[in-house]
Amino acid sequence: MTQPRTCYVDISRYDPERGDQYPTMQRVQVPYDDSTSVLDVLQYVKEQVDSSLSYRWSCRMAICGSCGVMVNGIPKLGCKDFVRDYVAHKGVGRDHAANDAPALTIEPLAHFTGERDLVVNMDEFLTHLEAVKPYIIDPASRPNNPSAATHSQTPAQLARYQQFANCINCGLCYAACPQFGLNPEFVGPAAIALAHRYNLDSRDHGKHERMQVLNTHDGVWSCTFVGFCSDVCPKGVDPAAAVNQGKVESAKSMLIQLFKGSSIGDSRS
Amino acid sequence: MSYKPELTGRWWLKHGHFKRYMLREATVIPLVFLLCSLLAGVFSLQDVERFSQWQAYMAHPLVIIGHTVALGAALYHAATFFVLFPRVMPIRIANYTLPARLMVAGQWAAVLAVALLCLWLVTGGRV
Ligand code: SF4
Ligand code: FES
Repeated sequence: MTQPRTCYVDISRYDPERGDQYPTMQRVQVPYDDSTSVLDVLQYVKEQVDSSLSYRWSCRMAICGSCGVMVNGIPKLGCKDFVRDYVAHKGVGRDHAANDAPALTIEPLAHFTGERDLVVNMDEFLTHLEAVKPYIIDPASRPNNPSAATHSQTPAQLARYQQFANCINCGLCYAACPQFGLNPEFVGPAAIALAHRYNLDSRDHGKHERMQVLNTHDGVWSCTFVGFCSDVCPKGVDPAAAVNQGKVESAKSMLIQLFKGSSIGDSRS
Repeated sequence: MSYKPELTGRWWLKHGHFKRYMLREATVIPLVFLLCSLLAGVFSLQDVERFSQWQAYMAHPLVIIGHTVALGAALYHAATFFVLFPRVMPIRIANYTLPARLMVAGQWAAVLAVALLCLWLVTGGRV
């Protein structure tokens, strides 16, 4: 039997209960093979090295969106990101324990508040999600309306928004967005992609309400199309496209409001 | 207790994607230079002497280098902008979405057409 290959990883550690002011790096040697994910690494560390390590995970199959971390400075899903891809470009099969330069540096998602180790506070993200009313708004289909018809939708109508409906709320796009990093009030890529998803849905009638949020400076207009959010999205949602399609919609909706003579103000408060 | 990492003004040095983004934004600098040159040209039309001064300015090697950089910057900006366009304004006709490649090619074709038109204008229709 061959010895398992090993490599070094640096993991960001932060425990306020221990009195930490700032995170520090912990270097660990971990075994890996071709199927070892970043999440497997964390699980190995928790079980074999240091049981106090905190991180989030659930599905291990890129569906729940809870395992987001920064790997070498790039937002990644831990369960969809593999050690082999990091050691490969330094020489396949070489034992990296030989030199103890870390192959991977694992940190909590950028731009969020660190709570403990790799766990961040996602409240800002959730507030933005809620603000755009990410659900079908149809006054005619209230439960107490007996005449409400069932919603039918053609494949073509579904195709208009399907891409934007694939979001798993992992928040990687927020960790990739410098505008969100500079201004946490920015509604941000995933929430705007979701707003756009419902605006494009043939069953929905809530576009006007959502545009009140998107039309503001902290809505679509904070985006400068850096585009990194779409690069890191593990689900191919292309939130940058949604935000910038949202700018076109916002420009239209502001023009309409201008002609109607109503104000374009922020109605969120 | 928790900590909030602050983004510094040097955030864009963190990796290649951000640097390429900043390069795209920076293309505006050589373009402003070109615009100033052209504006100066318009004002120099007032009298013959100033116009010949402007011609000498335009022939200066440094100015030519600056304008060549502006051309490069404009092409780089166009290349990055053209691929974004189909994502921002996808064209749908009934159930058919126009392929992004076609839209990018269409935009370059338009650039070529405008360039040829300009060439035709400056050469007085001799090409
Ligand atoms: S848009 Fe993509 S990166 Fe952003 S939260 Fe949704 S799945 Fe994650
Ligand atoms: S553990 Fe669910 S997405 Fe990674």
